[in-house]
Amino acid sequence: MSRDQRAVRRVLFGTPTAILGTLLLTVIVLVALFGPAVAPYDPRQVSGRPFAAPSAEHWLGTNDIGQDIFSEVLWGTRVSLLIGLIAASTAITVGTSVGVVASLAGGWVDTVLMRITDIVLTIPFLPLAIVLAAFLGPSLWNTALVIALVIWARPARVVRSQGLSTRNLAFVEAAQALGGTFWHILTRHVLPGVLPLALSQFILATSSSILTEASLAFLGLGDPIQKSWGTILFYAQARGAFLNGAWPWWVIPPGLLISLTVLAFVLIGRSLEETLMPRLRSR
Amino acid sequence: MRWYVARYGQYLLVLLAALTLNFFLPRAMPGSPLPFLAGEEVGQLSSEQLAEVRARYGLDAPLWQQYFRYLTSVVSGDWGFSYQAGRPVVATLLDRLPWTLLLVGSSLLVASVFGIAVGALASWRRGSALDTGSLVAAILVDSLPTFWLGMMLIAVFAVELRWFPIFGAIHPWGPKSGWPYMADIMQHLVLPATTLTLATLSGTFLVMRYAMLDVLGQDYIRTARSKGVAERRVLLKHTVRNALLPVSTVMFLNLGLLVGGSTVIETVFSYPGVGTLLYQSVLNRDYPVLQGAFLVLTVSVIAANMLSDAAYPLLDPRVRRSGP
Repeated sequence: MSRDQRAVRRVLFGTPTAILGTLLLTVIVLVALFGPAVAPYDPRQVSGRPFAAPSAEHWLGTNDIGQDIFSEVLWGTRVSLLIGLIAASTAITVGTSVGVVASLAGGWVDTVLMRITDIVLTIPFLPLAIVLAAFLGPSLWNTALVIALVIWARPARVVRSQGLSTRNLAFVEAAQALGGTFWHILTRHVLPGVLPLALSQFILATSSSILTEASLAFLGLGDPIQKSWGTILFYAQARGAFLNGAWPWWVIPPGLLISLTVLAFVLIGRSLEETLMPRLRSR
Repeated sequence: MRWYVARYGQYLLVLLAALTLNFFLPRAMPGSPLPFLAGEEVGQLSSEQLAEVRARYGLDAPLWQQYFRYLTSVVSGDWGFSYQAGRPVVATLLDRLPWTLLLVGSSLLVASVFGIAVGALASWRRGSALDTGSLVAAILVDSLPTFWLGMMLIAVFAVELRWFPIFGAIHPWGPKSGWPYMADIMQHLVLPATTLTLATLSGTFLVMRYAMLDVLGQDYIRTARSKGVAERRVLLKHTVRNALLPVSTVMFLNLGLLVGGSTVIETVFSYPGVGTLLYQSVLNRDYPVLQGAFLVLTVSVIAANMLSDAAYPLLDPRVRRSGP
């Protein structure tokens, strides 16, 4: 078994909490992949009377217009996870590029990039995301884009500081002295040095993207055609789940799924950090 | 001194970025910016009325003139007109701001006190049940969507137990003065403030715990102990006091998070603050209000940062002369 395989195994199964995270994530990914295929109803079709309590036909009851909530939740898993992953990968690509270029270029490039990063970090990010989403209009891609736009700055900062310490290592300085070009040093020396960190930032970014998407959708900025977990909760709040006593099966399941998904990413992310930086384990 | 210049320059940049975004968003969207500026009803206006509206917003002038016109109007207090409420945006915002300040302020206070206390005790008794328990609780609470936490508190404490009202900041027909009025406000504040506190508590707790562990590893703590200073005194005078420094900066850095949290929590509880206004303006497509609310939240975060800068020298005597 190679060193990399051992490291992956330690991240995913090294500690009881890591195993819990891996198990949770596996189940959720399976639901996202196959949930829609096994869903008992089309979540967009009316399949029962409004506000029905859970029964053999409708495991989680129905909503205000008689759509099956269980099927909605299964379909929503795919939407929520997809937006989270698209947003996080975009944000990490942008953030890592900004961080690496800033750390390697230095000078005014570094100054300008970091000023922009600090501006994005200072502006309260949810209100910013709300404004952007309101103008762009609701769709899966727009939501992912908006989230990426407000969360790329933190990974950029983290990657930059790691890039700075990599750049100052003796072998990188040697490569520079031997006449290595900017591009050569960036792709061969600095980028490999920051990639593990970028990976752990990606996992963090995915969990915060899923939470941000849920908040935006809850505020009515989600795509009403492709309902995510947050969109289901928006309708539950707006259409009187509390007044009709429907909250136990309408409000609890989507929220619980969001929490478990975020928890899964957080647990795996922590395990990855501990594997990368053993010093943290003593804290 | 130089530090302050750089710092205030950065705040100015943030403000300018928010203003520039507000200016360009309606104009960058496909089609005319008019529906964003003056309401979706512009489609039904006659051509003379349209020309009048265009002139009012200076839309026929070159873009850079429009930009400076926008900046001067914002500085002079003209933040546009809410076509939903039928009055200036600034007036609407001023109505809402006190409620947000009350909610965010009380949550910040409670979360800081609890976060600092629990963080100090947990690190002092490191590895104890309290330490492990609060670490696990922090991870769990951080995984919950803030608005869902609020919905669950409503379900349990307002719908089922009926201890607290379900929504709003005051009872519509309740007393409007004196102690009964205060009690009414407090009763409406408990659930949203608890939600916001829980959502931000873990941040303060984790930073405090980490800072404490850092200080506890310092030489002067060992010195204090070996010369026989009482444990209680080592905890309070030597450790907590020094650990509070990083915590105070991080608390203000988290303010953006707190403001974002208050936006969704206000919406859950229909609390009449800036956050609910943001939500309503999204639903009503009332773009001037939406942008005004965004601007006022950004300005509050900048103001809090400036406050933190001013407070830092008071907390840390070392920076009084040299600057942080």
